[in-house]
Amino acid sequence: MVTVDKKTVKNVSNIIEGLGMNPNSECIGILEDVGTNSKIDAIREMTSRALVKRNEEDALRVVIANKGKGINDMSTVVAMSTINELLSLTDKTIAMKVLSNTVEMHSDEEVRDNARSVKALMALS
Amino acid sequence: MANLSIPSIRERLFNTSKHEQTTQRNSTNPFAATSFKGNVLTADVFESSTKQNENQNNGKLKASALVGSISGYGEKFQNMINSVISFGNRVKENVVNGWNKMNSIEISFAPAKEVMGNFYGSIKDTLNTPMSDIFFTGISAKSVSKMDDMAQARELMASHVEAWESMV
Repeated sequence: MVTVDKKTVKNVSNIIEGLGMNPNSECIGILEDVGTNSKIDAIREMTSRALVKRNEEDALRVVIANKGKGINDMSTVVAMSTINELLSLTDKTIAMKVLSNTVEMHSDEEVRDNARSVKALMALS
Repeated sequence: MANLSIPSIRERLFNTSKHEQTTQRNSTNPFAATSFKGNVLTADVFESSTKQNENQNNGKLKASALVGSISGYGEKFQNMINSVISFGNRVKENVVNGWNKMNSIEISFAPAKEVMGNFYGSIKDTLNTPMSDIFFTGISAKSVSKMDDMAQARELMASHVEAWESMV
């Protein structure tokens, strides 16, 4: 059984959390490039949640309108965790806007369906 | 001549203050002064040496009345004693049952032993853990949230993610 060094996990977690709080918009690109493309489910999950917490249009577009990322992730844990974070948002205005745009304009049908489902959930919550 | 009705005898037996103050002690009963605080036998139930000529039937009547009275109370006392005995027996029975239960219960210190074992294990783990891990000196989220150099931030995240991925 492979064990991961606790210190490394803590460092990655803190870096992702810090980039999520950093007001610099370039942080979104860093999180998308490094975090959401990681092969580790836990890293993708932490990154998606950090992007949702920013509650910015660019950050939310990463986890809503990208195939294989955020709510469209192949890992059920990552997708459900992202949806849960979206439902936890106090101000859902920006998220609803991004979801609506994705439902109406995205080229991939699966991404559109996912966005429609999440939008329905958020409308009910 | 003394009043020998049952209520008066009862009064003499149990009402000490009133009767004692009015009764003249001329009894020949040797226990009259000492037994029952001098109250019980003040009505001469025994034949007095000075009054042997008095009516014998009268004396027998007194005696029978007193004995009857005493025997009645004796029955009550007997019932009380029986109650006390039965109470004592119940207490004794409960004590014996309790003792048997205590003997049947296996007293074990397993939970305490387990707790102490866990405590010892945690201490041992802590001692085996490097001090650098106990006092985490890694990267804090607060410091990253204040970083201005995004190239450095990207490098920082990439290196640590790569380190994690290399462990899997």
